[in-house]
Amino acid sequence: MDLFICLATGTFFGAALYLSDAASPVRMRQMLRLEDYTIFKIILFAIGLSNVLLFVFNMAGILNLSHLSVKTMHLGVIIGGLIFGVGFGMVGSCPGTSFAAIGTNVYKQALMIAVGGIIGALVFSFMYKGFVDMGIFKAMNFGKLTLFKISEKYPSVTEIGYSGLLVMGMIFMAAAWFMPDKRRD
Amino acid sequence: MNGNSRSWVFKAIFLGLVFAVSVLVIKPVGVSTQFSMIGGMIHSVIDPSVITEDSSRKSGYRSTNAYYDKSEGSLAKSIKNPLNFAMVFLLAIPLGGFIAWTLDPNKRKKTQQEALRQAGVKSAVEKYYIRELAGGFIFVFGARLADGCTSGHMMSGIMQGSVSGFVFAACAFAVAIPVAKSLKKLG
Repeated sequence: MDLFICLATGTFFGAALYLSDAASPVRMRQMLRLEDYTIFKIILFAIGLSNVLLFVFNMAGILNLSHLSVKTMHLGVIIGGLIFGVGFGMVGSCPGTSFAAIGTNVYKQALMIAVGGIIGALVFSFMYKGFVDMGIFKAMNFGKLTLFKISEKYPSVTEIGYSGLLVMGMIFMAAAWFMPDKRRD
Repeated sequence: MNGNSRSWVFKAIFLGLVFAVSVLVIKPVGVSTQFSMIGGMIHSVIDPSVITEDSSRKSGYRSTNAYYDKSEGSLAKSIKNPLNFAMVFLLAIPLGGFIAWTLDPNKRKKTQQEALRQAGVKSAVEKYYIRELAGGFIFVFGARLADGCTSGHMMSGIMQGSVSGFVFAACAFAVAIPVAKSLKKLG
């Protein structure tokens, strides 16, 4: 049953990435060159909506807090994010969207991205011990820090609970709504 | 506002529902860990001794590689048991992409545009997909160092208001935008 749920969510995720044009490296590169903001608007609005829905699910008492999964803040997030940006900007794709693109007309590029990615993951596995010894995961470590108090498990910046997510989500959705589609020169 | 159609909102609602419903039914979406699992599977085929069973541990596995061995060998367990949630989720993504592409009324136009874009004399970089290989290598390496990618950190992370999600998104875009702009001539 759970495997079926994973199959269904993965399928919907892939379809949603395709529909939002995020599976197209050409469209993603246009977004990253700031020529067309449509994908950015879609993602920002989607994140905002998910913030609001998390608030609603929690209000309704149907959110299982053990399903939450917050990642640790440490120096690796900064260095890794900067390195990630190089590859992201080069190809206009990321791990999820490259897999969604495997099912579309740009499958050749997408498969090559995936092969590159698997080699990248393998090289990282070999270098992991070195990064640990360098202390990258210990430096600037704030734990699994969240902005709002969503669970007793995680430290939070503020004591505001799920209503913080509601407000933030509304702001994201409004920002996406009023953002222009294209750059106006 | 410039009077453009609002069709993007429906796509955004669909995507947002996927993020929220997945945390409701199982856990937040995430993709880059699975690259390490696939890499680990290849690794353990070439060198079977890298992951061994160890019943004294909760995961039941131990690895000579520090990364697979991390968190009581949890990644080692996933590598040895590939039919896990994360992997099924990953392999369903192209299926979803394929279904959506098949149902897309504009797919013929999009395919033609793509074919036109790729026509003409190809440089070695295009012919052997050097950009795609190198880009994929770099972003997955970065994502593993950050312990998440656009899905896990940016979408799922910011959905939960996680600080690491905001930091990751800011760092990734701060680099990706100038890189994409400087490569404009490549298309």
